[in-house]
Amino acid sequence: MFNLLRMDLYRIKRSLSVYICLAIMLSITVLGCWMIWLLGTPEGRQSAVNSGMIETELLMEELEDESNLLEGMDLLEMYRNMSMDGGFYPCIICIITSLFVCADFQSGFIKNIMSSHRNRWRYVVSKLLTMGIVNFFFTMISFGFCFLTNALFHMVPFTNWLDVLFYLGWAWVITTAFSSLIIAICIFTRNGAISILAAIIFSSGLLVTVLSALSSLFHLDQWVTYTLYFNMTYGPSSYSGIGDLRIFGIGLAFLVLYTIIASIVLSKKDI
Amino acid sequence: MNEKKSLQKYAVETISLTKEYNKTPAVNHLDMKVREGAIYGFIGRNGAGKSTTLKMLCGLAKPTSGEIRIYDKSVVDPYVAKRVGCLIESAGLYPNMTARQNMIMKAKCLGLADSGLQGQSQENSVDKILSLTGLSNTGNKKTKFFSMGMKQRLGIAIALLGNPDLLILDEPINGLDPEGIREIRQLLLKLNEEGKTLIISSHILGELSKISTHYGIIKDGVLVEQISRESLEQKCKSYFQLEVDNISHALPLITEHTPGVRTEVYDNRTLRIYDLSDGTWLHQLLAENHIQIYSSGFHHMDLEEYFLARMDGQTHTASQGGNENV
Repeated sequence: MFNLLRMDLYRIKRSLSVYICLAIMLSITVLGCWMIWLLGTPEGRQSAVNSGMIETELLMEELEDESNLLEGMDLLEMYRNMSMDGGFYPCIICIITSLFVCADFQSGFIKNIMSSHRNRWRYVVSKLLTMGIVNFFFTMISFGFCFLTNALFHMVPFTNWLDVLFYLGWAWVITTAFSSLIIAICIFTRNGAISILAAIIFSSGLLVTVLSALSSLFHLDQWVTYTLYFNMTYGPSSYSGIGDLRIFGIGLAFLVLYTIIASIVLSKKDI
Repeated sequence: MNEKKSLQKYAVETISLTKEYNKTPAVNHLDMKVREGAIYGFIGRNGAGKSTTLKMLCGLAKPTSGEIRIYDKSVVDPYVAKRVGCLIESAGLYPNMTARQNMIMKAKCLGLADSGLQGQSQENSVDKILSLTGLSNTGNKKTKFFSMGMKQRLGIAIALLGNPDLLILDEPINGLDPEGIREIRQLLLKLNEEGKTLIISSHILGELSKISTHYGIIKDGVLVEQISRESLEQKCKSYFQLEVDNISHALPLITEHTPGVRTEVYDNRTLRIYDLSDGTWLHQLLAENHIQIYSSGFHHMDLEEYFLARMDGQTHTASQGGNENV
């Protein structure tokens, strides 16, 4: 399995799509930070007025409301609002997963892999580990970028590092679970376009929102609290008790479940 | 004695191998035997079950029933996978990577060492095989810009990584130019001389007949015949073909005048006589007995003709001093 992991890491380092996705993610982070600075800080608003981006009258009318924009917000909240809670970051990770896994099937290289590795669950675990590693670096880079931008523009106060570690820990588990879902879909469909579409639908919460709306008609929407999307969006920002660890359990349960499904599907189907 | 014993060893043995898709058999109770050191030409029409069989041998498809034994071990044995190199249908390549990068990917997949400490280092193996297959000068060219022939060569190169004992090649010379075909033929013969066993499927029967030591003919998922080159040559040797109006009269007459010569009734008008050097006296003999001759002449059956005859399911009556089934 570690041979497969070495192979996957070799490929992902040379994968252009990973760097494009990273660039998109960082660009969106910069754009988000810039918008918050522009509207949420006096210096930013002044800069916007000076450059003619907003009218002075409008600014004066809404100044009181806008001044509350960053009130009570810290670095972690800002990072969550920009990247995580809306499903943007999971969406990026899921798209990378789709492109990475489906390339094996679309290029036919899977034949070279499977002819030398008869235990197919190793393939799934190797892909999952690779995406876990990519996810780890992406999380670190995106948060680090947000941290540096904030340090540069002094927008919001810093968060306790323990809270940051707790949050990034479960966010990593949940997004890796999203990856395992997409790996299962890729193995089932073997089609890049379908997998990317599924990545967008699942990670943006579109499916959960629609199903939740339908099930709430019958007051049967309690299941939503156990979905990956819900936990990604509404999960705790700091550790306040043993109950907050539930999110790790949900993430790991889905991760294991989807990995098992992917392994079974791969072992049942011919290459 | 030992040499004789090793000749009897099978690199591949399938026992009643069956693969069904939606309860329709693609491969039906196939009993294939490939001797160690052989070049086994696997022949069949499109959809006959060649690729499905080869996929099962490579572990890419699961048999519905039956057994596959490779070097006397089950195909699911992880050590078996290390002894087999395969190229099935097209070469599976990452289009945005170079030939060398694709090779390194497979080398890592096989667990070949990065450094030269373990004898067969990754870099050495890759460079050696790229040179062997004539791809060492492709540089930074991505495989998406490769010609069909170059892709096939790279597919063979990937199959050769890890120095496998058994090579399974499905249509390896597809898309190659005549020079490329010759180079691949020489490469395959060289690999065989080194002791590797090869199973090759191809529609280019003329090319296959130049290298194969054994043949397997598959039709509608059933292995209709396994034959060695010597036996095939025996079956395909020159014959004198006569087309006459009254075969029931002509046959006893010919066997009476040519004792020990093998004859074969091809259809109700056509007769084939083997090991005959001159046919002129036959004309005289038949004319004297009032048998009309429509056509006559010497023929030589090649692999293609033999294969087509087998595909048509022709079973002819032959005689060698008496009648026997061929």
